[in-house]
Amino acid sequence: MIRRPRLRFRSLRTKLGVLYAGLFALALLAIAGVVQVVVEATAHRHTTAELATSGAIFDRLWADRERSLAESAQILASDFGFRSAVASGDRDTIASALASLKTRAHVQAAMVVDLDGAVVGADGPLAAVAAELPFALAPGRRDAVSVADGRAYRFVVSPILAPTEIGWVVFALRLDGAEMRALERLSAIPLTATVLHRRNGRWAAIGGEIPPDASVDALVARAASDRRPATLSLRDGRALAVAKPLAGPSGSAEAAVLIRYPLRLALAQFRPLQIGIGFAGVAGLVLVLLGSGRLALGLTRPIAALDRAARELGEGARTELAVEGEDEIARLAESFNRMSAGIVERERRIAHMTFHDALTGLPNRAALRQAVEQAVARALRAGERAALLCIDLDGLQGVNDTLGHPAGDEMLRRIAASLAELAPDGTVARIGGDEFAILLSGAVSPDRPRQLAQAVLDRLREPIRVEGQLVTTGVGIGVAVAPGDGGDADELLKNADLALHRANADGRSAFRFFEPALDAAARARRELELDLRAALADGQFSLDYQPIVDLGSDRIGGFEALLRWRHPVRGLVSPAEFVPVAEETGLIVAIGEWVMHEACRAAASWPAPVRVAVNVSALQFRHGGLAATITQALAGSGLDPRRLEVEITESVFLDGDGPVAKLLHSLRALGVRVALDDFGTGFSSLSYLRAFPFDKIKIDRSFVIAVARDDGAAAIVNAIVALALALGMDTTAEGVEEVAQLNTLRAQGCGSIQGYLFSRPVGGDQVEALLGRRLARAA
Amino acid sequence: MLPRLLLPIACVAAPATASPVAIAVQGLNGAPLAGAVVTLEVPGRAAPAARGTYQVEQRDIRFQPHVTIVPVGATVAFPNRDKVRHHVYSFSKSKKFELKLYGREEARSVTFDKSGPVALGCNIHDAMQGFVFVAATPWAAQADAAGRVRWADVPAGRATLKVWHPTIRAPGNTLSQAVAVGAQGLQTTLTLRR
Repeated sequence: MIRRPRLRFRSLRTKLGVLYAGLFALALLAIAGVVQVVVEATAHRHTTAELATSGAIFDRLWADRERSLAESAQILASDFGFRSAVASGDRDTIASALASLKTRAHVQAAMVVDLDGAVVGADGPLAAVAAELPFALAPGRRDAVSVADGRAYRFVVSPILAPTEIGWVVFALRLDGAEMRALERLSAIPLTATVLHRRNGRWAAIGGEIPPDASVDALVARAASDRRPATLSLRDGRALAVAKPLAGPSGSAEAAVLIRYPLRLALAQFRPLQIGIGFAGVAGLVLVLLGSGRLALGLTRPIAALDRAARELGEGARTELAVEGEDEIARLAESFNRMSAGIVERERRIAHMTFHDALTGLPNRAALRQAVEQAVARALRAGERAALLCIDLDGLQGVNDTLGHPAGDEMLRRIAASLAELAPDGTVARIGGDEFAILLSGAVSPDRPRQLAQAVLDRLREPIRVEGQLVTTGVGIGVAVAPGDGGDADELLKNADLALHRANADGRSAFRFFEPALDAAARARRELELDLRAALADGQFSLDYQPIVDLGSDRIGGFEALLRWRHPVRGLVSPAEFVPVAEETGLIVAIGEWVMHEACRAAASWPAPVRVAVNVSALQFRHGGLAATITQALAGSGLDPRRLEVEITESVFLDGDGPVAKLLHSLRALGVRVALDDFGTGFSSLSYLRAFPFDKIKIDRSFVIAVARDDGAAAIVNAIVALALALGMDTTAEGVEEVAQLNTLRAQGCGSIQGYLFSRPVGGDQVEALLGRRLARAA
Repeated sequence: MLPRLLLPIACVAAPATASPVAIAVQGLNGAPLAGAVVTLEVPGRAAPAARGTYQVEQRDIRFQPHVTIVPVGATVAFPNRDKVRHHVYSFSKSKKFELKLYGREEARSVTFDKSGPVALGCNIHDAMQGFVFVAATPWAAQADAAGRVRWADVPAGRATLKVWHPTIRAPGNTLSQAVAVGAQGLQTTLTLRR
């Protein structure tokens, strides 16, 4: 299979140029071809006609010449004296008469042939031909062409009548160049006439200018029947020719005249036309090349511009094309411009979104970080300061829950506007769901951060009207000032955050400046977190158990499991220290799981019906999987579910009581008891007691401690116990340390107590020893 | 090539008494050669003596008769019957003469003393042509329209038969042939052949 090579062009310009020039050249070739054919045909026809005319002229000339020669001879032949001389054989007289006749008639020889064939007036080959001629000629003919002495002669015979034929006057006329030139001069076109003679059956010019040639032979052979010209290829080029055979004495031709016209000459008259077409073609080709080049340039320039602009756009540059005209390319340029503008606009929006908060339009955390970076660098360089205020809102969740997210968004926008209004000299950013920040940079007066923080506190303390509702929000502010509180953005942000945590920890609506101690505390907390992970892995946790004494029987009814952490270096670490960290990091879930399993395992070894109470944090509830953990712990230990008591605080209800109640009910369905811990502190609400039918209420130690001395506390405890009794719930008083407290509680009808009065929490190995012990009855 | 006579028919031997001779002459194309003068020359028999006058008239710018056969020695008168004048001449070998311009009813006479054809012309009127055939034998006659000549009294023996006609391309426009006349005479057809 042959693969045809395909032309490939690097540029549209070349492509168009080659295409158009090629097409034009083809058209031109076709025209030139047609013109050439027409020209040749015309030249041929013209020459043919001219040759036919020339042939006719030749015939006429030939006949005229015969007539004039015959007349010349006749004049002599009819002269009485001449006839007398011939009749009497007066050779001298005849010869002299012939000599003068020869001169007069311009012939090469004038002869008299008598009836006996004797010739007077010439001798040699001419005489030999002449002697036989009158007898050889067919009746009616009076001339013949014969070759004598290597030359063609025309013989014209005229009888001498006295009155019968007594002889003939014979003229011999050489058919030489002069004779032919005379013929040529009579033609309208420059003909060439040449005498041919037959030698060895081949026709050739006597002078040798036309050598023997088959085409010439054929032309002469058919000339008698077909007078049309033929094209001959002769030594001096192609020529159109006609042949005139010249009858010899016996009738067959020994000589012929070839009249020819070179095609070169026939075509020469059309040369201006051909040259004109050639020039027009070249001029046209140049015009086509220029035109196609211009057209291609018109096409390719905008396309190249588009190409360039598209590349630039690809590299991120904003480019705009000049739109010229209204054609497709102009529309393409317009589309490109629109596309380019669209891309740039979207890029700008994406960039804006990357660095801005969609809700408030404020810079986001990433933007703030950059701004802080620059501000810190500038502060370091210029000896100025940069202050960062981190602001944490309270109550956003509440607004979202009660009024819906649109209201929360509205509140955020209001606050953002307020902040921007308060800090026209700073950069306000929203760096989290309910976190804002203000960056003050440049010439910041030493007092400005404090003043601004106070202004923010004051402003946000006022209720905000959101969707017709007045909403009060609290706010915490942490302030860090570079370069003192941080040499780079990350440090300044971290320290402002630490200060904020401190402010939050210290209570609502406060601001705190960063202090190095905060940083130390934070570092300690991080270490604690690492240690907690290690503790869980290394089994540093253990459980202590504090007895819960049933006041009805004065015997131990159960134990509360309490988590203990013995750090290999720190020693015993207080739950108050590590539990918040465990809760913050989520480790509390894993720790709680361990506690549940361990407590159930231990309790299973205790005699029934001694129960174990396990604290469950709100985070465990939130995490889900608590029910599964409890089920697995019970199944793993074989503990009767009714001997497991789960202690929860009211904080589990912060996420809404529906799911929590559902979970608690499922635990109850297993047989697990549920106790409400630390009742009376925090956000205690009686509504929780309605939300779920707890098995027990644990009265917080803050009430118990004062119950014997403070009537108010006693009244509260009394009320709680009465409430629990009314709701059918058991009660446990925590932190009972004194007998007086015990007595009061017993008197008020409290169900059980827990506290140092009976026993401190003990290790698992001491539980058995405690079981037999009874509460000493006070007197 | 000069024309010659063919005798395709065999001669019949004859006694020395007079015998009939019939000759037919045909031209080149086979047609009868009317007007040809046929002579039979018998050795020892000269032409008879001239008796009376012969004449060749010039009438209507023609020689009348066109061919006149006369014996050797005969005198022929050339009376002019036309209104125009004539100039009769002959360049023939047997008799050259010239009768210069003569008018109506003038007559000139010429004596022909040598045998042979004498071509008559008029120097004024080229078209005028006539012949006086001077015969040296009693048997000379012009072929009729069928090209025939008959004699009744030719002696048997060897003879020379000659045919003359102006169109015969031969010296003297004459062809000759030796023949033998038999006792029964001679009957033959002469055909001109090239």
